[in-house]
Amino acid sequence: MKILIIEDEKALRESIQKYLEYQGHVCETAENFLTGKEKIQQFSYDCIVVDIGLPYGSGLDIVKELKDLESEAGIIIISAKNSLDDKLAGLESGSDDYITKPFHLSELNARVNAVLRRRSFGGNKIIIFHEIKLNADAQLVLVNDKAIDLTEKEYRLLEYFIVNQRRALTKNAIAAHVWGDDYEFLDNYDFIYTHIRNLRKKLVDAGSGDYIKTVYGSGYRFTDS
Amino acid sequence: MRLLTKTTLYFLTAMTVLLIIAGYYLFSRFSWELNRKSDQELLQEEVVWIKYLQNEMSRGVTVVLRAPDVSIYPVEVSGEKFPAIADINDGPGKITYRQLTQVVSVYGVSYQIILRKSQEQKAALIAYTTRIILLVFAGLLLATFLYTWLISKNLWNPFYRSLNKVRQADLQTIQNTVFEKETGTTEFNELNASLNSMTAKIQADFVNMKEFTENAAHEMQTPLSAAKSKLELLLQSEHLQGEDVQSILEASDALSRLSKLNQELLLLAKIENQQYPANQELNLNEVTKKYIGLLSELIHDKQLNITTDYANEFRVQLHPLLADTLISNLLGNAIRHNYSGGRIDISVNGNSYSISNTTHAAPIAPEKLFKRFAATSAESGSNGLGLAIVKKIADTNGLEITYEHEDGQVTLRINRK
Repeated sequence: MKILIIEDEKALRESIQKYLEYQGHVCETAENFLTGKEKIQQFSYDCIVVDIGLPYGSGLDIVKELKDLESEAGIIIISAKNSLDDKLAGLESGSDDYITKPFHLSELNARVNAVLRRRSFGGNKIIIFHEIKLNADAQLVLVNDKAIDLTEKEYRLLEYFIVNQRRALTKNAIAAHVWGDDYEFLDNYDFIYTHIRNLRKKLVDAGSGDYIKTVYGSGYRFTDS
Repeated sequence: MRLLTKTTLYFLTAMTVLLIIAGYYLFSRFSWELNRKSDQELLQEEVVWIKYLQNEMSRGVTVVLRAPDVSIYPVEVSGEKFPAIADINDGPGKITYRQLTQVVSVYGVSYQIILRKSQEQKAALIAYTTRIILLVFAGLLLATFLYTWLISKNLWNPFYRSLNKVRQADLQTIQNTVFEKETGTTEFNELNASLNSMTAKIQADFVNMKEFTENAAHEMQTPLSAAKSKLELLLQSEHLQGEDVQSILEASDALSRLSKLNQELLLLAKIENQQYPANQELNLNEVTKKYIGLLSELIHDKQLNITTDYANEFRVQLHPLLADTLISNLLGNAIRHNYSGGRIDISVNGNSYSISNTTHAAPIAPEKLFKRFAATSAESGSNGLGLAIVKKIADTNGLEITYEHEDGQVTLRINRK
């Protein structure tokens, strides 16, 4: 999938690019409003990740421009502001999602994937990892074409793991994604372990490979190698 | 004391002194005039009496006269050149007399002449003068009160209007506070002009400060974000030692905490600036149920026993975001500062909301508890702002929060003010 990243902070832009490319996307970047606008006029993208605060203009105007161009691209706004009003303004402008700085790259990647799935037509709503199939609309999980019964939290966990496959995911990032921001600042993430253990057991019992690996000291990695 | 009352009192005091002086002056003037008149009369009388003496003496008669008003008798002293006139008090009822005394020599014989004139008028004069002065004073008093009343009703009116506006001025709506430019009084015009420029400055500063706080908080998020993303990428490296991973995670956590701290300080500033109007009536019971659900994993994980007693709904006018923040902070605190297997008791009635939890922590002085960063402890995972935010929300929304710590049980209670 082709993604455009419009962000003026070089270090952040490069991090996003690197992470998304590693997950199999093709990324282009723009460092200010003008180059961003030029690129969306000349090329077509599947998803655009745009910062609100840009040199020479606002990210919201990029969104407006995309709407004027009747672009089909999914749009994710990055903002330093996390107030409700700003979020509403961002979503009302026609963007698909809104993420507040600072964020986990794995979280941004999950959001990008979700937006791409929602935008695409046809069979692309299925996430496939070897023998595991996730149907995002129905929240249905098939292992070797047999449905398995997951709780809502386990489903969110699995989805997060698969879209961020092969990456080391911190407990902190996992907790924030599955349980919400309130869970981000805890001294103890033991409760995650229980859910992961259950998920792992259900997958293996259904005949899937054991893909959830513990990363020493940091968290977990979903990988087939 | 009101300025006008004060000036009136000063004025009346000054007037009293002036009137006493005036009365005394008036009295002494009249008194002097009266003396002069009676002295002239006494002198004229003396001339008549001397003529009479000369007549009688020429006929060889020795005169001896002893009446209340006139005494003439021969004495053995030599004659005096001038008569002496003085006030004396004598006789029944101590009537004051004007008395002329002189020893005159008529045909070689010395005669003592004593002439008296009653000064009764003088007593009347004192009474008369006093009455005039009192009358003037009463008139003055009446006029002063009337003036004071008129002045306070009209002249000071613009001042009281301005004062009222200052009282009702509110930082949020200060741009609507405009003081009259034309009051008809120079001093008040100047006062109002100064007040106007002051409110303009306050408003500009307020907007400035608000913008600065927000911008500073937001601008900080971008570099934080960049640093965090770099750490996340670094974590993906294949060649990390266990220690390296730990360092990266700790650095990343520290950055998250910094960002959270920043957001909470911003939230505090926004609450202080009253940027969250209390626009909805909310039921805190519902908010509590929502957060118990959201935080159930944590409660469960810490094996906390939670009891709720919703005797009645606690309804309050509050911004929904603040209600969420209030309850999640209180509940989060009760979980965080608890021990494994501890208790949380929530009890709500129409006017009071209380949440208590068991703890091993030492009691904290209540005045310290709600202060920013005052109760921070490294291992609790709190950043020291939670209760400061709770207090700020309560203070700005007509609520009151109290704290008790007894027998290892901490209770925070919200009451209506």
